[in-house]
Amino acid sequence: MSQLLDIVTSAAILYAVAAGLLIVFGVMKIINFAHGGFLTVGAYSALIVTKLAWNPWLALPFAFVVGGVLGMVVERVIVRPLYARPLDAILATWGLGIVLGQLITLYFGREVQFVASPVQGAVDFLGESYSQYRLILVIVAVALAVALALVLNGTRLGLQARAVIMNETLARGLGINSGVVRFVTFSLGAGLASLAGALITPLSSVDPGMGVPWLVSAFMLVLVSGISLLSLGVACLVLGGAQVLVSTYGNAVLGGLTIVVLAALILRFRPQGFARD
Amino acid sequence: MTPRRRSDFKLVVAFSIGALVLVAVGPAVLPDFMINNLVRAFLYAVVALTVDILWGYTGILTFGQSAFFGVGAYATGLVFTHMGFSPGNAALALGIGCATSAAAAALVGWLAFYQGASPLYASVVTLVLPIIVTQILFSGGTFTGSSSGLSGFESFDIELRTWFWIAGAFLVAVTAAAWMFVRSDAGRVLVAIRENEARCEYLGINVSRVKIWLMVATAVIAAIAGYAFAGVQMVVAPEYAGFVFGTELVIWVALGGRGTLIGPVIGTLLIDVSTAYLSGNLPFVWKLIIGVAFVVVIVALPQGIAPLVSRVFRRPLRGGAPRDEVPELRPATETPLAGLAEAGHHAIALSGVRKNFGSLGVLEGIEFSAQRGELLSLVGPNGAGKTTLMRCISDGAERSGGSVLVNDHDIGRKAPHACVAFGVGRKFQNANTFDALTVAQSLRIARTRLETPSLWARDASLDLPEAALKVMQATGLDQFLGMEVRHLSHGQKQALELAMVLALEPSVLLLDEPTAGLTKPERMQIGRVLTELTGRHGLCILLVEHDLDFVREISSRVIVLHQGRIVLDGTVAEVVESELVRTIYAGGGHLAGARS
Repeated sequence: MSQLLDIVTSAAILYAVAAGLLIVFGVMKIINFAHGGFLTVGAYSALIVTKLAWNPWLALPFAFVVGGVLGMVVERVIVRPLYARPLDAILATWGLGIVLGQLITLYFGREVQFVASPVQGAVDFLGESYSQYRLILVIVAVALAVALALVLNGTRLGLQARAVIMNETLARGLGINSGVVRFVTFSLGAGLASLAGALITPLSSVDPGMGVPWLVSAFMLVLVSGISLLSLGVACLVLGGAQVLVSTYGNAVLGGLTIVVLAALILRFRPQGFARD
Repeated sequence: MTPRRRSDFKLVVAFSIGALVLVAVGPAVLPDFMINNLVRAFLYAVVALTVDILWGYTGILTFGQSAFFGVGAYATGLVFTHMGFSPGNAALALGIGCATSAAAAALVGWLAFYQGASPLYASVVTLVLPIIVTQILFSGGTFTGSSSGLSGFESFDIELRTWFWIAGAFLVAVTAAAWMFVRSDAGRVLVAIRENEARCEYLGINVSRVKIWLMVATAVIAAIAGYAFAGVQMVVAPEYAGFVFGTELVIWVALGGRGTLIGPVIGTLLIDVSTAYLSGNLPFVWKLIIGVAFVVVIVALPQGIAPLVSRVFRRPLRGGAPRDEVPELRPATETPLAGLAEAGHHAIALSGVRKNFGSLGVLEGIEFSAQRGELLSLVGPNGAGKTTLMRCISDGAERSGGSVLVNDHDIGRKAPHACVAFGVGRKFQNANTFDALTVAQSLRIARTRLETPSLWARDASLDLPEAALKVMQATGLDQFLGMEVRHLSHGQKQALELAMVLALEPSVLLLDEPTAGLTKPERMQIGRVLTELTGRHGLCILLVEHDLDFVREISSRVIVLHQGRIVLDGTVAEVVESELVRTIYAGGGHLAGARS
């Protein structure tokens, strides 16, 4: 039972981390390798909230806004010139991730730091005593998925984003300003990455290099998910679940490799991954 | 006759001697600290060169060369730590490092470069490799030294200045070899793959195999650099095999100038040596500056710093033959149908060929055969499945069912390059060429399958079959051999692609609207060439055309395709007089099917 909860909560964390990368990849066809950097920015936003002794819950909106604003600047300056060069966009955003990491190091130092958790301890859940915060993360991840689905399917911007995903040339011909769609998408993706950083910090420590492993996992999950929020959920459950099982019954090193190895093999034999054709 | 060859041999020798002199005097004039750093930087630069060959020249963005460097270094560290140092063990360590790297590279290549793999997927696999290697090293316990690595093992009894000479000479040798290679005929195939992989595949080049061999060769070179690194530093750590080091190599190459050789070497030496000096005082600021410079270069100067410098000095540093070097055109000794169905009965034979996208059927029950010397036109409205049919004949993986025989060989599920070996030559609907290559270079790429290109030199003559020469002369392209393809007119590109396909010496020619966008006189010329190809050279031509007048003039037989089925198969006269064809083309709105 507690293993099942581990799987579900791990999948929820992965989902929260990967969602921002997925919408940027879906709409812009660009892999944002600064995703790990934005996630680190979110974690340090939470650290600021802790240091200012604000209510820990405020870390979430604060991180989202910081990441979103940063994303706006980055989209204008770095990403926009690289729309036609997707592999270069990977490199430029990776370089940006290095820059963010170094700026954080210069200001906050290299050492590992800790962030206050909004809730403490364990609760009884279905007869198990389980970490309250991890359970809350599941609710947050589901809320995030529902909110993204509502934005995509229920708003004018979401409709335009879906039009750009399907056929950007046609969408532009119909008068959709794809530049605006890209701008909003990238800012939203950066905001979500930052939000995810704030979400995971109560479970892990904060350090300037924390984003890289998360970036790698999120990247692999997005690749096997195609561009669907639903298949991302499936991918997080399957690969995250496999990671939990391998870590439990195998060893931690193998567990750390589970997502990247499985995703690479899945893509080799089924390039569309978990997405329907 | 032995072909005359051109190479940059003299220039490379002169350059190498100059560089070796610098290396020789280095230890005498440099401080010890600097010598130590340069030994390391020389070895890093060798690995950066392998990244440049893969990424700058061939277009494979790799994050994984660090893994091969790490494997070479760890083979040394492990052998010397656990078995002690001896000349025999030194050779053993080198052997193990190279063999393990080669095996890993072959595995990576098999995973990353399958038929139809995306470039992104290849990068993903090269990213996964160093992650796996470092995790294995972490989990090795005392055997691999886990996260602290191995140190203090006994190694070669060589002084530092000698290591400087060894590492420097190694770098000069690898640079010189890479120079000869990228400017050879074989090296140009890499650029062709970067520019247009699909066209290479349809010119009969086994792109996957080329990439896998390249991966294996560069992995072994990186492993040798790692071997020397462990030998001189007597330290190995998981970071040297890691993904972050892999991205650093890419950064050095990008800053120096991808697709040049000198750029990445100079870039690596400068950055690594400056890092050693500056990271003591301002470690984070220095890394920040590198990060900012990298972003700026990728966004604003994608070709890196070296081309900028070379523009100032007006010296071409980039690969490729000098623009004014034009080979002499000669008729080739043709071997059409060699080993193929010289005596066979069908040039092409299709039975029950079917193609569907999900539940949407595009082709259904296609059944026909054609002989040598036939010029068979495929006509039908847009969306009838004409181009899809062409694809099904030239790529075994395309069709959903049925069988295709080319020169009596079943193409099965074979890749396009294998279909080329059976005698298929395919010209695409839109001119599909290599923009960055010259006309002569493009034609040479088309000859790769028949004439194995030299790994170190350029052939001074270009041998083309008669039909290709005729197309070149008829369209005046032979006057533009040294011109880059991007400067050609649309009609010239069409003619060039046709000449490239004919250079394959095909026996079954698939032409998808070869005259689209051409002027009337150009069209007449192409028409004459085609009828001669079937009449005199006995080719079987399958032609997709919309221009019914053109079809009527040159075809020996016409197949009418409508909504994925053959509705008529007969002579020109039969088709022209057919009521059905008139209905499909002119009147029948109810018949106008879904467009594919």
